[in-house]
Amino acid sequence: MTGKLKSTKTTKLSKAKQNVRAIFEPRSITLIGSSKIVEEVGMTSPKLFADVAYNLQTYFEGRVNIFDIETRSTLGKSDLTILALPPQKSLNWAGKAMNTGTKAIIQLTGGFDAAQRAKYFKLALKHHVRVLGPNTIMGIINTRVGLNTTFERNLMPPVGNISVISQSGGVGATLLDWASYYDIGVSKFVFMGDKVDIDDENVLEYLASDPKTRVIAMYIEGIKNGRKFVELSRKITARKPIVVLKGGITQESAQRALSHTASVAGSDEIFNAAFKDAGIIRVGDIEDLFTASVALASQPPMRGKNVCIVSNVGGPAILAADEVAKAELELAHLSEETKQKVQKAYPGIDLINPIDLIADARADRYRNVLKLVLEDSQVDGVMVINMLKSCFFEPEDAKVIPEVASRYDKPVVDVPVGGEDFIKVANVLKGTGMPTYNLPSKAALALRILYEYGRRQC
Amino acid sequence: MVRQNKKILEILDSVRSEKRFELTEIESKSILNFVSVPIIDTRLADDAEAAVRFASAFEYPVVLKIASPDILHKFDAKGVATNLTNEEEVEKSFKELLRNAKKYNAHARIWGVTVQKHIPRGIEVIVGAVRDPIFGPAVMFGMGGIWIELMKDVSFRLAPTTKESALEMISEIQGYPLLQRFRGGEHVNLEVIAEIIVKISKLISTYPEISEIDVNPIFARADDAIAVDARIVLRHD
Repeated sequence: MTGKLKSTKTTKLSKAKQNVRAIFEPRSITLIGSSKIVEEVGMTSPKLFADVAYNLQTYFEGRVNIFDIETRSTLGKSDLTILALPPQKSLNWAGKAMNTGTKAIIQLTGGFDAAQRAKYFKLALKHHVRVLGPNTIMGIINTRVGLNTTFERNLMPPVGNISVISQSGGVGATLLDWASYYDIGVSKFVFMGDKVDIDDENVLEYLASDPKTRVIAMYIEGIKNGRKFVELSRKITARKPIVVLKGGITQESAQRALSHTASVAGSDEIFNAAFKDAGIIRVGDIEDLFTASVALASQPPMRGKNVCIVSNVGGPAILAADEVAKAELELAHLSEETKQKVQKAYPGIDLINPIDLIADARADRYRNVLKLVLEDSQVDGVMVINMLKSCFFEPEDAKVIPEVASRYDKPVVDVPVGGEDFIKVANVLKGTGMPTYNLPSKAALALRILYEYGRRQC
Repeated sequence: MVRQNKKILEILDSVRSEKRFELTEIESKSILNFVSVPIIDTRLADDAEAAVRFASAFEYPVVLKIASPDILHKFDAKGVATNLTNEEEVEKSFKELLRNAKKYNAHARIWGVTVQKHIPRGIEVIVGAVRDPIFGPAVMFGMGGIWIELMKDVSFRLAPTTKESALEMISEIQGYPLLQRFRGGEHVNLEVIAEIIVKISKLISTYPEISEIDVNPIFARADDAIAVDARIVLRHD
């Protein structure tokens, strides 16, 4: 008897998980909207309906069914149903979609009161259908299958390994804009919305088991069940890094302090402690969130603190050395063996780290020295600096950096310092998995984070 | 351990039965003693005569501190007298501390004056704990004494924590070099402090009625560490 009960429970659980998957990996989609309804206050409109339909039809690999409630009445079955209607109408159509056997619903529009939200949740529970939203507005993106439920026409980041979860529509939209503009490879993108059913933990669990996600980047404003979040994250970060940007750091703890400890225990200090316990990497702003994520998605973790800087200019390399120190990393001391080998090949090169390859260095010199440096057991990671102006280096020469780096289990980051020089080299390195930064401070942060994640994995 | 647990619950129950939320210094120290946090032996004297009696039992010099649930910052209230070497000084200080306390806060409830042995100072550190509405119990380490107020040089972890994490907490604060280079190269015993952090983290995790703990200051020294003052606060709900 108990055995039977247990097995029913297990199937229900796994079905619930399966249906979270249907949000991201449906084979068929139905978008339900109206070509007429314009909400007084709210996002429901023929324009939003048409824009979402456009993105679905433009990008999605599977079957797309656009269902206008003004002209059609019989709903067919599909894995995923996307709803863009006012609350009451959405509830009615959600019920109908559930009856046809849809696995999951993305409720784009919002405006639901507490009773309507409760009703939505009850309905979902009854049919084992998972619901994202309401009020997610932008919904989700899965670049690999061309799933894009946003209403921003043609806004699609390149395919990659970073998955983003945002608790805010506005910050999420900024992150999406940033990733698309700077060509940052994205796997999944999730706008959480009001979380009537699917919550942060559900999405984290899905992304943790998703082979196409190598790094999880999150924007967080609040957490409901702190301990559950920490336990789950701790399990995930042992295998996959989580990078978090937390908004609202100035909020103070509500409790009345009767002790010194409570008087300094603001909510941000406790969040910090929780992130540390969970092995989560915390960053300070949107740019750092991507700096960290890109490095973690493309480079192996750094197993020690020793960084070698290989440059074709002196001054920028000195600034880079300063940044390495500021990031609380160290400049590697090359072994005598490495020094002798470099000296033999290139007499006259100064082998005090940072290594100055001299302004005439081209691809060959970079290739040979990088190999020797990466082979040195006293080096844990490398920051390459390759300026174009005032040097003989050509953008195409940069190709040797990922070519050499890919042969070693040590992180390498590239800094073509500046403006135009940076763009030229970054364009050459696009798609090679070599992170490029326009400033050494960002490259140092990237290495610092790779070091922190390396320590987490020990 | 079971016996210790029973004694702790007895103290917590008696405090609650009196509808108090703050434990006295003596009660707080007893609890810490039961969980093996090294803490200086302290007695509550309700008159000058008792203070003298305790002082001679401890051997001079001694320290007197005002005991009041309404005075958190004893130094600000001029409620501490240190390095008292004889009967006369103890008697005089007892009266002075009471006067100062009244001047500082006329409505303060005064329980008396605590007496403890004056011990050589080490580096002052604090170990504390709080209960967070989202994440539950958390433990804190920092530079103690006035530094906690001025510099907020502290680090936190969720409780209970491990010795490994406790050592990491210690290394995270700005004052870490001070702990490493104490009195000409000698460093304070970090292991002992880490053990105190672990014990405090277990204490707040084990007793859900506790909402705040201050063990401050702890004198951290080369061979050991000893807590000189402590405060435990209970939940209001």
